[in-house]
Amino acid sequence: MKAPPLSWLRGVVTLHVTGPQVERFMNAVTEAGIIIWNVKPAGDGASLRLLLEDFFALRPLLRETGCRMHVTGRTGLPFRAARLWRRKLFAAGLLLFGVGLLLLCSMVWSIKVEGNERIADEDILEAARQEGVYPFQWIWRLDEPDKLSRELTSRVPGLSWVGLQRTGTSITIQVVEADRPEEKPLYTQRHLVSRTDAVVSSIYAEQGRPVVGLHARVKKGQILISGALGDEENTEYVVAKGEVRGLVWHEYNIEVPLQKKSSSYTGERKDRLYLVLGGYAVQLWGYGKSGYAESRTLTEQDMLSWRSLSLPLGMMTEKEMELSENVVTVTPEEAKAEGLLRAKNDIYARYGADSTIKSQKILHEKRENGKVYMKVLFEVDERIAEELPIVNNRGE
Amino acid sequence: MTRIGRRLRGWTNGVLSLPQDVLQELPRITLIGNKELYIENHRGVLHFSSGEIRLALADGILEISGEGLVIRSILGQELAVEGVIGGIRYQGSEEKR
Repeated sequence: MKAPPLSWLRGVVTLHVTGPQVERFMNAVTEAGIIIWNVKPAGDGASLRLLLEDFFALRPLLRETGCRMHVTGRTGLPFRAARLWRRKLFAAGLLLFGVGLLLLCSMVWSIKVEGNERIADEDILEAARQEGVYPFQWIWRLDEPDKLSRELTSRVPGLSWVGLQRTGTSITIQVVEADRPEEKPLYTQRHLVSRTDAVVSSIYAEQGRPVVGLHARVKKGQILISGALGDEENTEYVVAKGEVRGLVWHEYNIEVPLQKKSSSYTGERKDRLYLVLGGYAVQLWGYGKSGYAESRTLTEQDMLSWRSLSLPLGMMTEKEMELSENVVTVTPEEAKAEGLLRAKNDIYARYGADSTIKSQKILHEKRENGKVYMKVLFEVDERIAEELPIVNNRGE
Repeated sequence: MTRIGRRLRGWTNGVLSLPQDVLQELPRITLIGNKELYIENHRGVLHFSSGEIRLALADGILEISGEGLVIRSILGQELAVEGVIGGIRYQGSEEKR
């Protein structure tokens, strides 16, 4: 054994002992039960090592044997500690740093809310704040995550599930919103009035009071279903709802050409490739004329871009495609049928697909300048109701 | 030590064949090559220098000569010497039995 166990922790003193009888001193030390080691002859005495705790017992022994000593080395933790103690501020800083780091690590720094669409982040965060989950809260003061999520679920209405997860110093609140019945749009009180002049063919009032009867002739703007209930003294306004259909006459002036021009691609094509540098384009490929009688050119530009920045450098391709023109001559009957079909489609598009055309009457027809001109009267059964909000006539 | 006691002790040694250092106060010296030397049951250091160490024994003196001698540790009755050990001489003061 060279040195006692844990001698570094206990502190080791290196001494240089001089005197007439170093040996006697050593014997005395040994007898006192003090362990010494690394005894080396040095100079006119000896150097030796012993534990710091035994050092203070040496004084009487030295006096007894007439030896002198001086300390040549101090090693071990007690001396380190003493040196550190001299630099209190430094040590305090060291400690403070550690403590600070520990404290900052045990703090909630950020809270994220995920998965919400209707409910605002702020509402959930506010509820979480009431449960003690907010930024700069100590982590050790937080409740168990499952308890917190249960509390949050009951605190925020419209949530069906809340999950709370802490990763280090950040908390993620994941929510699943409960499905809600669709909200009905709000209506103002209104009448239903006629959109055009018509003859009522059917009237059905879901809400409100039907004012006109079947087969009644109505004018544009006339009230069909009234939203005002009761008599003149006691009136209550409701949202008039219902379906009113009527016969309406539409007059169409139709003109259809007898010759139809159409152009189509022949499939022949010539490509040109350009290199674009800023405002200039250098042709790389496809020199020469195409020689097409009629053509259409499609230009495509592919500029180089980096993220959202587009660079003034890129490729441009031009596709010149040959066109061929065809002329189709149609018979007057075909032209007429087409014109009528167009007019009917227009009616369906304007007045609703559930309109039915009761009858059509060609009032006038002529052929002129290679076109067929027609004047057609359609009798159409269609919806004629239009909403008219009731305003400003309350309390009259 | 009385005569009878000493004789009794000698007799026990013979019968039980115990090592001498256990019963009589004799030093046990362990030498490892010429580098390390362990002495147990010594009675103190008489002289100490890098060339020579003299130890007091219960009956006599042990002289260790060599070069660069260092006492590695003193632990009560046990002493460890390190260095280049040249010779060990035993100066016994013969005690009558």
